[in-house]
Amino acid sequence: MARWWLLLLFLGVWMGAGLALIDGPAAGVPATGEAEAPLRIVCLAPSVTEIVCALGLADALVGVSQFSDYPPSVMGKARVGSFWQPDIEAVIALRPDLVVALDFPQQRDVAGRLNRVGFRTICVRDEYVKELFEAIEYIGAATARTAQAAALAADMKRKLAQIRGPQAADPRPRVLWVVQREPLRVAGRDTFVNELIELAGGVNAIGPTVQKYPPVGAEQVVGRQVDVIIEPAMGAGDLDGQQRTAEAFWGRYGAVPAVQNKRVYVICGDSVSRLGPRLCEGVSLVARCLGTD
Amino acid sequence: MRGIIEVDGLSFGYRKGEPVLAGLTFSVGKGSFTAVVGPNGAGKSTLLSLLCGSLRLQGGAVRIDGRAVGDYTAQTLAGKVAVVRQETGAVHGFSVAQTVMMARTVHFGALGFESAADRQAVHKALAETDTQAFADRPLASLSGGERQRVYIARAMAQETPILLLDEPTSSLDLRHQVGMLDLLKAGQRDRGLTVVAATHDLNLAGRYGDEVLMLGGPAGYEHGAAETVLTQENVRRFFGVEVAAGLVEGRRVLVAVGRFGR
Amino acid sequence: MRSLLTPGKLVLRLAAGLAVLAAVCAACAMVGSEHVCLSEALKGPGQAGGVNPDYEILVHIRLPRVALAAVVGAALACSGVVFQALLRNPLADPYILGISSGAGLGAMLAVIAGFNWTFLGRSPVGGFAFAGAMGTVWLVWWLGRLAGRGQMTGLLLAGVVVNAFLSAIILFLTSVARSEIVYSTIFWLMGNMTEGDFRVIWVAAGFVLAGIGVLYLLAGGLNALSFGEDDARSVGIEPARTRLVAFMAASAVTAVAVSLSGLIGFVGLVVPHSVRLVLGSDHRQLLPLSAVAGAAFLVGADTIARVVVAPAQLPVGVITAIVGGPLFLVLLVRSCRGAGGLR
Repeated sequence: MARWWLLLLFLGVWMGAGLALIDGPAAGVPATGEAEAPLRIVCLAPSVTEIVCALGLADALVGVSQFSDYPPSVMGKARVGSFWQPDIEAVIALRPDLVVALDFPQQRDVAGRLNRVGFRTICVRDEYVKELFEAIEYIGAATARTAQAAALAADMKRKLAQIRGPQAADPRPRVLWVVQREPLRVAGRDTFVNELIELAGGVNAIGPTVQKYPPVGAEQVVGRQVDVIIEPAMGAGDLDGQQRTAEAFWGRYGAVPAVQNKRVYVICGDSVSRLGPRLCEGVSLVARCLGTD
Repeated sequence: MRGIIEVDGLSFGYRKGEPVLAGLTFSVGKGSFTAVVGPNGAGKSTLLSLLCGSLRLQGGAVRIDGRAVGDYTAQTLAGKVAVVRQETGAVHGFSVAQTVMMARTVHFGALGFESAADRQAVHKALAETDTQAFADRPLASLSGGERQRVYIARAMAQETPILLLDEPTSSLDLRHQVGMLDLLKAGQRDRGLTVVAATHDLNLAGRYGDEVLMLGGPAGYEHGAAETVLTQENVRRFFGVEVAAGLVEGRRVLVAVGRFGR
Repeated sequence: MRSLLTPGKLVLRLAAGLAVLAAVCAACAMVGSEHVCLSEALKGPGQAGGVNPDYEILVHIRLPRVALAAVVGAALACSGVVFQALLRNPLADPYILGISSGAGLGAMLAVIAGFNWTFLGRSPVGGFAFAGAMGTVWLVWWLGRLAGRGQMTGLLLAGVVVNAFLSAIILFLTSVARSEIVYSTIFWLMGNMTEGDFRVIWVAAGFVLAGIGVLYLLAGGLNALSFGEDDARSVGIEPARTRLVAFMAASAVTAVAVSLSGLIGFVGLVVPHSVRLVLGSDHRQLLPLSAVAGAAFLVGADTIARVVVAPAQLPVGVITAIVGGPLFLVLLVRSCRGAGGLR
């Protein structure tokens, strides 16, 4: 019997010693309050990389995430792991003055740890167009580039208004944005893609759904009277080849107006796969498909 | 006179309405050797399991050394009763010495290790059962008969006043059959060991047992001195077999001949 | 009778094991996707305004990770030993009775509910995973008791059923949940070693060590239970009580491990087996030495996982399976030959 009490005592002493002797996590470095521009920036996501470069800070960028590929000048920068699993050791080794991350759990945790180690970190959200503009403003404030940020935002809004302007009166084309063919998955109402479609003058053929990128059945495709089918291309390959495969696939949906009118488009995915400064390019690309430009 | 084991109106059945043992009453005196015989399914193993607390009684009472068997904890009962079971399946990963040492578990110290006294008991048990030679071999590498002797050694190492054995000689060769029974008998004589052993061999039961309990399932049971119980009529009644009786060195011997044996 | 374990032998083997573990931890702390210079790191944290990357990486990133891997590895290996003994089944591992799906469901529910509060700087996912695991253990134990005498069989069946049921719920939630929730849960479940807070690791280590202590005190009972319930009772072990305490302790230890690092398979299956093949089944040495071996194994596997495709990281479970499987096969073949062909 005594052995069990001894074990309990050991446990108590262990816990007590630990909580008394080991320091908790450090307080962390505040994000704002710096007046000078940071000289070394690390971005943990491709969209953030684009924003930082658009603010004229491409030279200050020392590390980017694995699939950051725009603008071309970042291709030579050091890589710090992927979007889902940033490599915290690589970030530390680069000694950044500022780390910009996205605000979802994995990256939030990494940013928190980097902050406690002693680096300035900020987290931004960019799941919707409104959040994109907020992010641009926030990053501008953190990098002492508020003027450039405001200018960028204003420029983007002006271009968007130009695209949207003329066709407010037309009946909006119903668009099916196909993310995956088998099983058939499309972009739903609660996504930034939906916003792209609406900014380009169209409307999502699919009604509100629980999931953001729901799998849908063939009957919804047929029943919804889709006017235009848009598929972002997989990878950087052969757009023409993918266009032909797409038309062959959709051939079986003869009853759909988009197929009858040959309005199936495979577009280059770069400007529509992430929300960033190339938003206007993406929207105008979509508008061209919808015939609303 | 109170026996060290008292059974009073014991009943037990594995399924409702089909009792294996019903109204069994007998007592085992301290320092006596009781042989339990009976046909398959008569309840020999069941009785031994009930005596050591592995199965719970459904009716009646069993008292070990004055206390009801259900009142003992496993630890206290292990100080009174040691059991050798029928199955000799192997457990992997343990050596013979480790297996026998397991009998001393209740005596282990605070950190779970044995003392010199425990080692001595194990040593003695291995020597007595002629298993010293394989002390460090894996249990799984022994033959069935050798394993049976190891389990007997384990029960002996437990150094309890009562020993229950379920067909302890079934896999043993002639030399070891006699050897093990001599060992048990010597224990009885020298240390006052109380032995209850189930066996198929009626003659060994008669030659080594002081008393015999013959179980017959629905036919009832007989308990008494060996010569009174082991008779041709009882064998006919309980086993349904005709046996011939003979005399060897003054004691009755029963031999089953069957239809075609000579 | 030299096959008998003595305190001296145990202490010696344990000391040797701990020495190997210390060496493995030290070596692995120096390995990573970035090169760390030890002399630079020893200069301490950076002066005001600067940060010493070698120190930060070594002390705040690598050491916690190595410590975490050691604690989780020890926990999983030790509870694997116990489940194999209790279920008398060499294929048992710590997740066989539903802990994995319970933890997964708990984690998923925490992510879905989107809690924003933190405890000790950690998100509540780990705590929910722990609660899910322990809740499932209670459920499985209770269902298993309904089986009556063949309790271990009942437990196994209850575990399989509960596992299947909870996995179905997880699949359902996966199909309707938002994609980032799904991804978060999947990555969490695949096994991750990203704890940075030493206090959390210390507390978890305390619980794991206490659990190992409890199980060590039950080692004699586990030895006896290896021969079956009846035999155990005959030598003085109360089977029901020993089984209950061992089961609860092993489950709690596993739940702590899972709540820290997600589901890492193979450690709880391969390490106990391997140690048993080399040293035999005496639980007084099997338990502590499996814990040490499990710790060393997982530290090594985690190091490989974060180095082999740097700067990306493989899930640790991939390495434990790839390394553990063939290693185990080699040991098994060698032991079968050694035992004189007895299978």
